[in-house]
Amino acid sequence: MIFLTAVTKRFRSSKGIKNAVNEISFKAKKGEIIGFLGPNGAGKTTTMRLILGYLAPTSGSVTIDGLDPIEKRIEVLKKIGYLPENNPLYVEMKVGEYLRFIGQVKGIEDFSSVVDEVGISDVLNTKIEELSRGFKQRVGLAAALIADPEILILDEPTSGLDPIEQDKIRSLIKKISQNKTIIFSTHILSEAEDVANRLIIIDKGKIVYDGVKPQGRGGAEKLFKRLVKS
Amino acid sequence: MVTLYKKELKYYLDNPIGYITVVLFSIFVNFLYVKDIFVTGSASMRPFFALLPWLLMIFVPAVTMRILSEEKRSNTIEILLTLPVSETQVVLSKFLAIFTLVALGLVLTIGLPVSLSFLTQIYLPEILVGYLGALLLGAAFIGLSMFFSSQTKNQVVAFLTSVLAIFLLLVISTDFLANVLPKFIQDLAGYFSPVYHLQNFVKGIVDLRSVFYFASLTLMFLFATIIDLEKRN
Repeated sequence: MIFLTAVTKRFRSSKGIKNAVNEISFKAKKGEIIGFLGPNGAGKTTTMRLILGYLAPTSGSVTIDGLDPIEKRIEVLKKIGYLPENNPLYVEMKVGEYLRFIGQVKGIEDFSSVVDEVGISDVLNTKIEELSRGFKQRVGLAAALIADPEILILDEPTSGLDPIEQDKIRSLIKKISQNKTIIFSTHILSEAEDVANRLIIIDKGKIVYDGVKPQGRGGAEKLFKRLVKS
Repeated sequence: MVTLYKKELKYYLDNPIGYITVVLFSIFVNFLYVKDIFVTGSASMRPFFALLPWLLMIFVPAVTMRILSEEKRSNTIEILLTLPVSETQVVLSKFLAIFTLVALGLVLTIGLPVSLSFLTQIYLPEILVGYLGALLLGAAFIGLSMFFSSQTKNQVVAFLTSVLAIFLLLVISTDFLANVLPKFIQDLAGYFSPVYHLQNFVKGIVDLRSVFYFASLTLMFLFATIIDLEKRN
């Protein structure tokens, strides 16, 4: 269970002090697929990084199964698979080599089931830099799935992919969602509608909607346009 | 941590850059030593150890410059720091991988004392202690270069700032400055110079103060690097 209580994250920059997220609270349970929506700079990535303990909140509290992700960083990270925004990868490594590295760090030697699930068995001996964007995304997803984490945090998992690849990644997320908590951010409202069973909309660092996805095709888009002014 | 260490070392072993840098270091150090030995007629390893800090000033930043700056530029640092490993493990594994490479560079100079042993009587413990000093000096330079690599996303900036910082450390104990500076500043500056401490090892003396100096310099910069990663700058 993920718990965020009145979490604020403040950044200092040359332009002054900015609240990237401002007093946000929500909880996420096992089996939920949460679509995290919001315009650019709304605070989606910051919220995800706070859940991971990659960033520390300025105020408020974050707990993962009762553990503070800053104080119990390693225990918390063992529970989470993460696909960061823009999918950074060690591109000079071969796919198999990269996944073996991630697996060994997570204490797993056999990652063949993930390879089959994500459909990258044909490219295990290919250097990541030689892969198409779609395959790179699958490699990033495979790395997040290694060690079968209870929680998956996916920051724009279909960003920059063609519609066919987007469909494949969406199907994959739905397939792996059983008994997991998944939080994924996206700009594609129909994607959130298709994959998620709950929506959180964030704007200017504040949650403006948290609930079930609206009924009917295009419901998420109407809701988003009504709530997000920026 | 072993996995992280292997990954870092493998990058250099799979990449021509690693070999080129180590081999170039070895060629330069061997050539610069050998070119003078027959002119001066002095069969001693001391000129080699006198040369070493200046070559390590280029070699160490060259192999270290990418170690964190590249992770920050490509944002793979976010991958690394969201895996179940501590910042200390990340920094130490990277440090040990580069230390292995620097040690390899020094191993490639072993031919020099071996050749020397055919020309003259050498005192092996003195040379071994000299190499121990060289390793400690290398470790301190790696720590410093890692810190500067953690401060930027640009490898060239990391390289240049590290070279400049090492140059300043080396230059404070040179005769050139000794003639200009007041005596008490000379003494103080000398104590902070790695050249001064390396000289003890070159004489075959394992001076604990010099061991402490190199160890504290290394640990201070590694600690600063760990803090930088924890701050997520």
